[in-house]
Amino acid sequence: SQLSSVPLQMLLYINGIYYIFYFLATLAMIIYKSQVFSYPDDFLAPDLASLLIMALLEVLRLHLGSKGNLTEEEAPLGLSLVTTVGSVILSVYFLVWQTYVLRADVILNTLLLCAYGLESVLKVTAIAAFVR
Amino acid sequence: VARLCVCDLLVAQCDVNCCCDPDCTAADFSLFTTCSVPIVTGDGRLCSQKAAKYSLDVEANPPERVFELIDQVNPSFFCIHSTNYKQALSFSAPEMPTSENFDQLLKQFGSASFSAEPDGWNTNTDAQNPSDANETYRYEYGVPVQTADAFLRLPSPVVSSWCSDANPAGFLVNQATKCTRSVSVEKCGNIQAVSMLFYINSSILAKLLEFVFQVNITVQSVVVQSLNGMRILLNGSDVLRLPMILDEQCINIVLGVSYHITYTDAGEIIEAAASFVLGAINKEALSIQQSFEISFTQVNTQPVPLSGNPGYVVGLPIRVGFRPQGYPFPAEILFAALNTNKYSQLTILQSTSSQDCLAAQGARTPILFGYNMISGCTLRITAAMKCQPLTQTLLDLLKGQNFPEYVASFGNSQAQDVLDWVPITHLHTSEQRIYNTFQSSCQIPVALEIEVKWTKYGSLVNPQARIVNVTATITTTTLKQLPAGRERTIPVTTSVVFTDISSAAEPGYKVWPTINVKLPYDFFFPFV
Repeated sequence: SQLSSVPLQMLLYINGIYYIFYFLATLAMIIYKSQVFSYPDDFLAPDLASLLIMALLEVLRLHLGSKGNLTEEEAPLGLSLVTTVGSVILSVYFLVWQTYVLRADVILNTLLLCAYGLESVLKVTAIAAFVR
Repeated sequence: VARLCVCDLLVAQCDVNCCCDPDCTAADFSLFTTCSVPIVTGDGRLCSQKAAKYSLDVEANPPERVFELIDQVNPSFFCIHSTNYKQALSFSAPEMPTSENFDQLLKQFGSASFSAEPDGWNTNTDAQNPSDANETYRYEYGVPVQTADAFLRLPSPVVSSWCSDANPAGFLVNQATKCTRSVSVEKCGNIQAVSMLFYINSSILAKLLEFVFQVNITVQSVVVQSLNGMRILLNGSDVLRLPMILDEQCINIVLGVSYHITYTDAGEIIEAAASFVLGAINKEALSIQQSFEISFTQVNTQPVPLSGNPGYVVGLPIRVGFRPQGYPFPAEILFAALNTNKYSQLTILQSTSSQDCLAAQGARTPILFGYNMISGCTLRITAAMKCQPLTQTLLDLLKGQNFPEYVASFGNSQAQDVLDWVPITHLHTSEQRIYNTFQSSCQIPVALEIEVKWTKYGSLVNPQARIVNVTATITTTTLKQLPAGRERTIPVTTSVVFTDISSAAEPGYKVWPTINVKLPYDFFFPFV
């Protein structure tokens, strides 16, 4: 029978689309903040760098998770879980430690964290199913 | 926020209608009509902030003030939830100068302007300064002309009209001064300032602060003025004439000195010459008036008095020029009359007290830019006067001997620039009506009107006057034959009018800035 988790795959797919939106929205908001508020270069650089790293991590994570789920292998899924930790840290950075945290930032990042949490649970379940 | 009160202006007193004033009592609040400051909040961009609301409850009897401290919520999506950047939302307090950071603060803020990047600019300007120190010193405009011991003196009146010898001559500053000096025949040889030696003793330094090259002042010419004012130019001007007593008069005292300094365009003085006017005083004279003049000429150029640079200056004479004989030359047109000769100015008849045209022949006054002038005289015509000589005399009177053909467009127009010279247009009008032209009567010119049209040229903040058009209109009238023995008096007038034909300045606005977004040529590389 099929061991791949369909909810996990759906969630990964939705996560991908949402992340594209999240990336564009956060970039646009950083540009908006730099025009409206006083945003010196020392503070702008870490924010932009984090966003870029987060995008790369996300691509890697989604690819590994999708591959692991579809091929029913634990290794990529485990790796994906590890990268999720990094993504969570970066998301928390954007939620709490960013230079300017707007309400829109709070909403976006909370949604993303919820998605990460749900995904992690589903991945653990899938790994358990594959191992057994 | 509860403590802030913008309308609390009077100290220890209750401000009217100021609900947040702590000095007001409940009795004062009952007399207010409204609250001038209804709410005091912090930064409006924060998502939630404390706000103090003040309002008047008019229902209650007596009215009382209501104070609430609430949390105001900003409904916008983009309100600031939190910041991790301390200076983000408030003005930064400036650094208080202490003894440690005073030098650094002075370096940063001590000049006329400073930018947000304090260190970047300073290093650039420091690098430029050492190179200037290596340049040799040269004279610049206004710098006192130095001699071996002090400065080149140009005595001038200070406060009163008595001469002060401490006035230095400035480089390139053409000056002419007159002052009074107290003299007496007894102290003839003792007063230094009336002796020629005093003025040519020192030698001028060719370059500033360099004692190696010195220029001696040579005596160019000596004019001797006798007691009754007659001046004679002496031939041998090499001999130094010192004051001495002769026949109870003190002769050879300096009445005027005129310095001519020649300089190069590198700021060096290469030649200096002085022309003297020597005079004599007798026993009764207690003081004399001395006049001093200094003029600077660049080497290898002709000194031409400019009437403006480049636009005409109001009050300076209009410069004119002529074409040399042998016109037309196909190649160039050269103008001859560009020297300090007084006769190369545009002149009009000068009114004299006698008002008789024929008696005042030759008295002319130059036309100064911007000054409308009118002058005239009366002419007595007798029956014996013939038409043609009278016409010629009147034309000479009106126009003068050397009526020019061209007028300089700018105050500093050079002879080589043909396009900078405006030709004078001549017009003739007649006082009589048209039907009289068929009569073969004598037309004599009685009026000359010169109209100079000028315009403002150049930038809006510093417009220069430029002459565009000069029209000389001669008005003639018919001379009716007089019966024998009769006389007639006609007025002859000349006038100069300056008209400003500059068009009103139109403001020009810059184009709206456009967003220049261009993708690079190979942006869609894999697909194109």
